[in-house]
Amino acid sequence: MIRYLAAGAALLLAATAEAAPLAPGTYTVGFVSEVTGPVAFAGLSYLHGATLAAAEINDAFYLGSGVRIAVAEKNSGSDAARTIQDATQFIADRSVIAVTCCILSAVAASVKPITINAGMPLVIYGATMPGLPAPPLVYSMTVLPGPKDTATALAVAGAVKPKTVAYFLAADNDAFKGRMAATRTALEAAHVTTAGVVSVLTSDTDFTAAATQAMGMNPDAILIYTTQAPAVGIIAALRQRGYTATIVGNDVLSPVSVFRKLGPAVVGVPFPIGFSADLAATPAARDFVAAYTAQFKTAPDIYSAQGYEAIWFIAQGLKAAGGTPTRDSLAAALAAQKEVEHNVYGGEPIVGGQIDTTGTLIVAWSPDGRLVPWSGAP
Amino acid sequence: MALFADQLVNGCALGALYALFAIGFGLVFATLGILNAAHGTYASAAAIAAYFAVDALGVPFPLALLLGVAAAAVLALAVDQVAFQPLRAQGGGMLGALITSIAAWIVLDNLADDATGHQSLSFPLSSYPSGMIHLGAIAFARMQGWTILAMAAVTVAMHLLIRRSRFGAAMRAVGWNEAAAALSGVNPRAVVSATALLAGATSGLAGVLGAVLTQNVSYTLGEGLMLKGFAAVVVGGYDDVRGAAVAGVALGIIEVMTAQYLSSSLRDGITYALLLGFLLLRPRGLFGSAAFTRA
Repeated sequence: MIRYLAAGAALLLAATAEAAPLAPGTYTVGFVSEVTGPVAFAGLSYLHGATLAAAEINDAFYLGSGVRIAVAEKNSGSDAARTIQDATQFIADRSVIAVTCCILSAVAASVKPITINAGMPLVIYGATMPGLPAPPLVYSMTVLPGPKDTATALAVAGAVKPKTVAYFLAADNDAFKGRMAATRTALEAAHVTTAGVVSVLTSDTDFTAAATQAMGMNPDAILIYTTQAPAVGIIAALRQRGYTATIVGNDVLSPVSVFRKLGPAVVGVPFPIGFSADLAATPAARDFVAAYTAQFKTAPDIYSAQGYEAIWFIAQGLKAAGGTPTRDSLAAALAAQKEVEHNVYGGEPIVGGQIDTTGTLIVAWSPDGRLVPWSGAP
Repeated sequence: MALFADQLVNGCALGALYALFAIGFGLVFATLGILNAAHGTYASAAAIAAYFAVDALGVPFPLALLLGVAAAAVLALAVDQVAFQPLRAQGGGMLGALITSIAAWIVLDNLADDATGHQSLSFPLSSYPSGMIHLGAIAFARMQGWTILAMAAVTVAMHLLIRRSRFGAAMRAVGWNEAAAALSGVNPRAVVSATALLAGATSGLAGVLGAVLTQNVSYTLGEGLMLKGFAAVVVGGYDDVRGAAVAGVALGIIEVMTAQYLSSSLRDGITYALLLGFLLLRPRGLFGSAAFTRA
């Protein structure tokens, strides 16, 4: 209670007073990475984005002369127990002023109470489950995909006019269950009948039978609500078995590795995305793409952008806190932020600790491996 | 009806992978007395080796498949000699070998994950026999057909090797009692090494074929086969490749039909409940010897 009162008082001060310059020194952010394990393909992008942000912040003296931000990494391998262990070590290290972590929602949900209990600001860079943010201590840098999924499905339905649709659902993933349920409700309200739901598991590797099952429902379109590996397998199996009608994907299809793997099978499959290197529209986004590409010899993806934004957001909080910031004063300063000022989305408001972007960008892979705005063709 | 037939072929192809994997897994258990948790990593290694042979070296797929199988065989032999042979020499029991195999599994999985850059890769579509075969109303992928044929051929060959050849007799003798086999003129170490090679090769074959069928070249490939392969061995009986083959295919068919006609979300639960029920009725498995025990 005392901690929350202190944070509340600090929040009031932060909102009303001009911050003093930060005391010289290095402010360390604990970064729980996931560069091994089931989602390592994304984990590397998050880490690269974060390290690039720290370098830019330091090179530009964003926090002031003699003030640096450092990223201390511990790899959890997406294991909840290891993540908690890493977070606990960061909490014990008094030089760490904030922690950022987690791609998997279940892991983020496990870490959240531990950091709240310790009064450690936590910025979640990848998990998408609604309800994770809890200001002043917990923030999410991932745009909630559910509303974007629904907007995409409605846009596709408006263009393709399907009478029936079938869904693929990762039955062991609550976040995707919620996303699919919301889309299904919206489509049924738009008089699009549900032909059926094919459940798969995130650990499945063979989707031939599942594709056969879905095609047996004779849907006019198929919508996929699974993590990346099943989504890729499902699309490959559907196309191989001759399914030529519309497939609607989700943001997991955005990394270039998906195009490299699927090639023509994924061309034209619409999905929503918050950031695309191919469609970088603002100077900040173009600078980010150029710097990232120069450093890592590959274009950034949506995960890189989220890792990048997480560190910029913490730096913004540090600058706002001013003086010699503590975890409490940083939490209060973060709570006072209304948007992420340095962002690659062309606007990134924060509501209740959750970032958002305006509008929904619906894209598809082109035959030459670029993300382009979806044409509306089936 | 066409849907049922399509799913039957899908189940057979999936089960063929389980069966191929199970044959090697059972061979190791019956002959070497090891419940080898690292067996799945041989499949992953084969797929990765074959993938790089195709993608980086431009090797034709059939040759890459053989390279992958050979790589898995060599890896299996290396693991056996490094991890298990010292335990055998000291008379270590099954528990020690199991723990050692878990260590090998974790190390090899990490290496495989690094080798693929933490990504799930896939063979280029143009590199292997792709496209569909239409037999009347039934449609299936060419590679599904090749996988079923490969499983049948390997099952017959392994059965003949184990039951009708002198080497097979030596394998069974070593599996029953290594000391007694040695007294009869069998070189147990040579038999054990050859068994490890064969087991690695069959796992590797399952790995490469599975990588093509599932578009997945990564360390998760072997992990996915591991549990199902183990189930197939238990149901089929440890000491008969026919059992592993039949049980593997049955497992694939049950899995697919359960998802199609009962519940896709409860697929694994229902499949394993059926297997459990079967084992309650016939604990030694389909073809397992009634009195089979490890020496």
